[in-house]
Amino acid sequence: MNTPSSPSAPAPEHRLPPGFALHASGADGSQEYFLNMGPQHPSTHGVLKLVVRLDGETVVEVVPHLGFIHRAIEKMGESETYVQYLHLTDRMDYLSSHINNLGVCMAIEKAMGIGVPERGEYIRVMVSELQRIQSHLLWWGAFGMDLGAVTAFLYGFKEREKITALFEDLCGARLTMNYFRPGGSNADVPENFIPRVLEIVEEMKFTLDEFNALLSANPITISRTQGVGALSRERAISYGCSGPVARASGVNFDVRRHAPYSIYDRFEFDVPLGQNGDCYDRYRVRMEEMRQSVRILEQAAASFPEGPHRAKEKPVYKLPAGSYFSSVETARGMFGTYIVSDGGLKPYRIKSRSPNLSNLAPIAEMAAGGKIADLVAILSTLDIIVPDIDR
Amino acid sequence: MIDKSAEFSLPPGLVPPQSGLLQPVDWIVGWARANSLWPLVFGTSCCAIEMMATGASDNDWARFGLEVARASPRQADLIILAGTITEKMGSRLVTLHEQMPGPKYVIAMGACTISGGPFYYDNYSVVKGADRLIPVDVYIPGCPPRPEALLYGVMQLQKLIRAGGWRNSIVHRPVNVSPITDPMAETLKEWEVIEAKKQEEMKEAKERFKLENPDYKGVVIKRIVAPKYDEVAPTPRPERGLAQAEIFANLSERFPSLRVHALPEKSAEKVADNVAEVATETSVEKPIETVTEKITAMGREYVLDVAVEPADYLPLIRHLRDDTDLQLDYLIELTAIDWKDRYDVVVHLLSTDKGHKVFVRCALPHVEAPEIESLSSLFAGANWHEREAYDFFGIRFTGHPDLRRLFLEDDFPGHPLRKDFEYPERVVKRPY
Repeated sequence: MNTPSSPSAPAPEHRLPPGFALHASGADGSQEYFLNMGPQHPSTHGVLKLVVRLDGETVVEVVPHLGFIHRAIEKMGESETYVQYLHLTDRMDYLSSHINNLGVCMAIEKAMGIGVPERGEYIRVMVSELQRIQSHLLWWGAFGMDLGAVTAFLYGFKEREKITALFEDLCGARLTMNYFRPGGSNADVPENFIPRVLEIVEEMKFTLDEFNALLSANPITISRTQGVGALSRERAISYGCSGPVARASGVNFDVRRHAPYSIYDRFEFDVPLGQNGDCYDRYRVRMEEMRQSVRILEQAAASFPEGPHRAKEKPVYKLPAGSYFSSVETARGMFGTYIVSDGGLKPYRIKSRSPNLSNLAPIAEMAAGGKIADLVAILSTLDIIVPDIDR
Repeated sequence: MIDKSAEFSLPPGLVPPQSGLLQPVDWIVGWARANSLWPLVFGTSCCAIEMMATGASDNDWARFGLEVARASPRQADLIILAGTITEKMGSRLVTLHEQMPGPKYVIAMGACTISGGPFYYDNYSVVKGADRLIPVDVYIPGCPPRPEALLYGVMQLQKLIRAGGWRNSIVHRPVNVSPITDPMAETLKEWEVIEAKKQEEMKEAKERFKLENPDYKGVVIKRIVAPKYDEVAPTPRPERGLAQAEIFANLSERFPSLRVHALPEKSAEKVADNVAEVATETSVEKPIETVTEKITAMGREYVLDVAVEPADYLPLIRHLRDDTDLQLDYLIELTAIDWKDRYDVVVHLLSTDKGHKVFVRCALPHVEAPEIESLSSLFAGANWHEREAYDFFGIRFTGHPDLRRLFLEDDFPGHPLRKDFEYPERVVKRPY
């Protein structure tokens, strides 16, 4: 790290690490120093590196460094067929892998004019919502652990395993699913799918009450999160934030409402909004989102139709020349797929719009002026997945 | 002492040696060390979630004496490499390994850390096996491996440690220095030899069978019939907000040079055959009335895709953002396309209030350092998107406050998403 040799001498401007904008304050008694957080750090949720400029314990400036898990997915996509690209999206935001798959499938369907049968659409919605709950459960556990409550981690994972087991029966995988295909899904759901979903739904109602009792009104949670890391509505839009991060700041933006895909327009659900955009609002929005997902699952399970789970499979997916865009709402926000096709078997350019990249961008504004412990709470409630940022 | 006559007996590794002076000490040290592993908190990607699941309530790795995961390498003696190792992370991983006090052990969890896994081919950033950087003791295949597999891997490591005792525990083990090759091509070559041998043996066997069973008529093979599915008509999904023709009318008033990018072909039959044809595709240049009619004919599912001259680029985006009717206040993404003879900078905008989208593209000459104005004064989020486009395509955004590479190392040679990018030292081309 570029620390000056003498601690009393203010860092000259040219010695500032890259990305820092502020000049050395030079005020008497200022004790500014730089601290490296990551790339190996338990609360950065992966290999994210934050260079923090601190004055005592107060954060002056934060500069994130990305790319420690940049895996060249977009370059690889140019030499794989469209269906082969699906498995790479699993590994981007691995806690929303079903929904990422869905985004790519929708772009292919849009380009080739493929429809999805009724049962296939229901499977898509139900699996997406299960995935959302599963992802939020993991976030809840990790959030508790970041604030020092290991109990939450164990409780969150215990509930999550039930949904993971269901996914395993569905597609054989616990994490990297690769289940959806253009025109439906890889396989039909197992026979006991609906009873098991209903069982999970009933348990979730009880579990969410339990979780709320455990952590939501906990004085430590509240004092660590309320008024911490506030993001205004205007800044959230300007940064392109999406998902719970944007909604906690009062941006009424949910792709399921804004540009309803699959059959989301048939179900009743609310889009929970926050007012202050602080860590506590982000926490509350996610907790409420799980309830709304439960609502959607209940409605879908009540009218789950019989019939084929997929449309006719094409031997080869060859997209007409042109560019195609699709967007879905993952557990973290808007996941966009932009395909540029030259009419060949493989995409000419394929770009995935990651929600996490935009959600992490305002961290410098959110953390400035707070304590370094608040930075951990902010990172935790942003719920970032680093491989999705780096791709 | 173990009673040999008893029906139950411990497996050999768990029985303390009965002779010698140092052997029992070895055994005790090995036993203690194997059952008090201190793993480092090191997860880079997907496998980390399975590692967390292994530590959580259902699988509970505390049963095997390794629940004390440490965040500092100085307190740990085991790295579970959970997730892909990239070149940028590589030097940090070596540092972490060096910071651990010996004896130290490494488990490679998942396909990426074994060989690069799904990221082996056409990849300029992933290390092809973590054992090229640090010595690895146990490999666990899977993508990701299940928690049970990780527990099995840990038990294998414990077996190794118990066998090793204390005397040979701090050994400098070599790392993998074999040249990076194309395993697919090598395997195919090996297969050819095996296949030829197999064919020969089959031929012999068939002849022998014919001689032994002259009356054999053969069997009818019943194939499993795959279920047939019908084609389904796509559901129309109209775009929300303002009609695309309305948006175009608004824009063409102020920006007469604006053109609509080639309207996508609706029929799948008209598929372009090669890249060159597409690369030279020109935008539609017709009187506005016809273009508006054409846009209206595309229906409500079509999203307006306009091509703008570099001079009008920033004013157009500013107008799109600030116009009271349009209100395109949300930057979905900013990226680029390399068309081999030009670069297209592509900007996707959305109105959070009304819901309509507009795609803007701006062609730049295909030179080493193409330049365009930065949008970071309009959208705070454009900062990182532009840094990404600079990193991948080498497009310079003038007026950008901090134009550095976003993902790759500063000394990375070239811009990887350019079509003419080559990096033979790292990239193995996909053989199929």
